Amino acid sequence: MSSDPADNDTGGTITRQRPVYTESQVIMTTVKAVIPFVLTYGLFITFHGTGSPGGGFQGGALIASVVLMMAFAFGIESTREWLSNALVVGLGTVGVAIFAGIALVPMALGENFLEYTAYYPVLGDILGLKEYEFVKYGMEAVEIGGIALIVAGVLMGLFFALAAGVTPPNDTTPDTESAADTGAASNTNTMTGDIDTEGANK
Amino acid sequence: MIATARIGLIAVFVTLGLFFTFVSTAGVIRLPDVFSRAHTASQADTLGAGFTLAAVALTLGWQSATVKTVLLLVFIFVTNPTAAHAIARAAYEEGIEPWTTGDDRR
Repeated sequence: MSSDPADNDTGGTITRQRPVYTESQVIMTTVKAVIPFVLTYGLFITFHGTGSPGGGFQGGALIASVVLMMAFAFGIESTREWLSNALVVGLGTVGVAIFAGIALVPMALGENFLEYTAYYPVLGDILGLKEYEFVKYGMEAVEIGGIALIVAGVLMGLFFALAAGVTPPNDTTPDTESAADTGAASNTNTMTGDIDTEGANK
Repeated sequence: MIATARIGLIAVFVTLGLFFTFVSTAGVIRLPDVFSRAHTASQADTLGAGFTLAAVALTLGWQSATVKTVLLLVFIFVTNPTAAHAIARAAYEEGIEPWTTGDDRR
């Protein structure tokens, strides 16, 4: 995620010829029909998890899969532009901040890490909750505000980083065959070779 | 009488679901190229999952879980062929040539 994909494109060193993406009517229609249900289901799973099956991890993965489906249907680059990199990174960062905040405040109040009942003397009267209820709602807060955001952000970021592809170094020229050869087999060969040499060069 | 028919129908559905899933798996392992594999994975597998989920819905009877099973069935019927279509389309755009009779590929 650290390397900007725009830089990779202007470098002009991508040996693999990617065909221009053309939208498919079938995929777009299906994704349009399915996305609201998947997002609802992701939120449904996210808001469960303390007393029923579900949880922030699975819910976050489903929410990220919405963005993945949109990228598959409407083009990865246009989705990347619509969903700026700052937002994707921000999701994960805000998630970590919320998680750390909820976990560390009890330590400031003289209790253990992630001890939700430490909130009771401070917020018990304001929120009108009993002491044991703080465990439940604290866990929910960590799952919804922390884990779900982190997982959604990281999965989206990983997907966009993978989709940006590998930029091979200039000095690796594939065999004696011409680089313009568009056969599938030679493409995969150059891809794997490039990944290996890139690791060695960095 | 009704109960017997229901159990018989469940058995038929599970058997058909197992059969189509088996055909799909054999096809994915045995067929020569990505297009024919995507073909068997979408069609036979969708039918196999559909029959199995229908058997599950029949077994559960009238309750809220049945509604979820039917919803699952609907979404599998919608998304599975689309996913296969996307895979085959991506393979075609990558320039992979379809296997034809006479070709001797794997």
